[in-house]
Amino acid sequence: MNAIIVLLIILGLLMFAVGRGEGLRAYFSFFINFLLIFLCIWLLAIGFPPILITLVIGTSILAVTIFLGSQDDLATQSAFYASFVVLILLVVIIMPIEAHAFVQGFSSENGEEIEGFSLQIGISLVQISSATAILSTLGAISEAAIAISSGLSEIITKKPEITPEALFTDGQSIGRQIIGTALNTLFFSFFGGFLALFIWFMNLKYTFAQIINNKIFVGELLMNLFALIGVVLIIPLTSFVVSWLHGHHQSKA
Amino acid sequence: MKKISKKMTLWLMIALTLVGLIGVAFTFVDDFAYSRPIAKITSTENTRVENVTDEWQNHDKTYHQAIKATITNGQYKGQHVTLSNTYTKTMALDQPYKKGQKVFLSIKKTSGKTVKQASIYGFKRDTYLAFTLWLALSLLILTTQFQGLLAIFSVLLNCVLFFLAIQIDLALHASHVLLIFGTLAVIFAVLTLFLILGPTTKYLAAVITTIIGMLVTIILSMVVLNLTHAKGVYLESMSYVTQLPTPLFLAECMLGSLGAIMDEATDIISTLFELKAEKPDLTQWQIFQSGLSVGKNIMGPLINVLLLIFMADTFTMSILFIRNFNHFGYTFNMNMSLGVTQTLISGIGIVLAIPIASLLCGFWLRRRQKA
Repeated sequence: MNAIIVLLIILGLLMFAVGRGEGLRAYFSFFINFLLIFLCIWLLAIGFPPILITLVIGTSILAVTIFLGSQDDLATQSAFYASFVVLILLVVIIMPIEAHAFVQGFSSENGEEIEGFSLQIGISLVQISSATAILSTLGAISEAAIAISSGLSEIITKKPEITPEALFTDGQSIGRQIIGTALNTLFFSFFGGFLALFIWFMNLKYTFAQIINNKIFVGELLMNLFALIGVVLIIPLTSFVVSWLHGHHQSKA
Repeated sequence: MKKISKKMTLWLMIALTLVGLIGVAFTFVDDFAYSRPIAKITSTENTRVENVTDEWQNHDKTYHQAIKATITNGQYKGQHVTLSNTYTKTMALDQPYKKGQKVFLSIKKTSGKTVKQASIYGFKRDTYLAFTLWLALSLLILTTQFQGLLAIFSVLLNCVLFFLAIQIDLALHASHVLLIFGTLAVIFAVLTLFLILGPTTKYLAAVITTIIGMLVTIILSMVVLNLTHAKGVYLESMSYVTQLPTPLFLAECMLGSLGAIMDEATDIISTLFELKAEKPDLTQWQIFQSGLSVGKNIMGPLINVLLLIFMADTFTMSILFIRNFNHFGYTFNMNMSLGVTQTLISGIGIVLAIPIASLLCGFWLRRRQKA
């Protein structure tokens, strides 16, 4: 039997065992996100404008991750708005940096893998690299957004009379609590994704100077740093959106 | 008093940010620190454009550039060189050059102390890396202050350990990959969680959860891969492989999911300890159930974090495959099967850590009350 299918079944069973209905929903969100990624690759490959596709697919990924992640209305709504703003900010930050750093496509380290392929495929890989960098950050951003907004929503349930200002401060302090572990999640996934590449670098005795100018290394580290920037930006933004919505509700009541 | 120290902290962070900016500025003039000759481009001219169509009817363009540049370091400093460059619209392995950019050179021919012929060896990217690093770290420490600094310290420490582990792996000729990187994962967990939680009972619970979760996940994955003969997982398609792929892949899975598992364990355990402090009469079973309900809300988003990071790396290669008229099935197998497998294995680890952390807390908190 196919190993991927076996693992997929095991994961589904475990998620059901731990979370029942909500577990299945989380499993479902993982599955839809995967399909969205596949759709995205296909649309990019047949030549749709990369940034437009990134925005559409990116927003869908945020919606799927956030709205299928929790049932709390205030929390999911604020997390979604804040993540969407960060997505736009990241597009503005990432595009010029990717366009200047030229980390697109392949490097000499890819040698054998791309042998026999036509590399003149008529699609600007610089834009593809921006699209990839933007999409790769979205998981981390929505995760942090949900953590902060559901924390704040819990505070509101316990203490409905809390002022928007106090709520904003609380959001910042939740952000400070989660930043350490969020940063670890990002950097360990970086270590894990590129263990083979790092072994390659050291095996072939790359110098420090070579590594910090290497196309693949710089490209990967940039992606990680963009995700970090996204997570840092999401902290004040989510806190702001939750406290704004809460203030709005209060003045209406 | 507290207000003053808060203000002081902010000033300290601003000062650090400014020091960082000097570091970024340094990369504009760091040419002397490189042993390879570097040249600054003074002018470029597009000499020729060709329309190209490949065997799959992809239309592309090839551009030819004539470049003038001045060497900025080493024994040839100050000399002018003429370079040529070819790039395609796709820019798969090439790129255009503009005035003001810096490139590394290969000196091909010299006569006496004059460079007669040189070619472009690579693009100087350190400035862009340094700038982004500065931007990310400045935002981090300005919003989260000491917690941010601590997180940076923890990542730096882990980088050093990572580097050492690879050296050991190479020294042992990759004979004990899983043992080395498994040990590394344990050390990572012990150190990183200490910096987050300090010397507390929570810390011990988080370390034990992470290690058991990781161990069970890796054993389970090995069993699955063995029983299915890794069918559908194209280990031979792994990039940059210089050693046996299977253990290396498992080591990548282990390290890649470590951060997420620690993240989750910390969340669950902190919440349960807080809960127990608020309601001391909770039974072991109730604590276990609360643990599961905290976990089920965070597992989905965490798995998605890894899914997006692992899959993003497959985009360019997949597009290349599709544009070269490969079937989707083949494109998936050769590019995405590893990323998907890595996400699934990490996901299993993330889910398994939930009952482990909840059981441990249930057991621990009940016993503590009895004593």
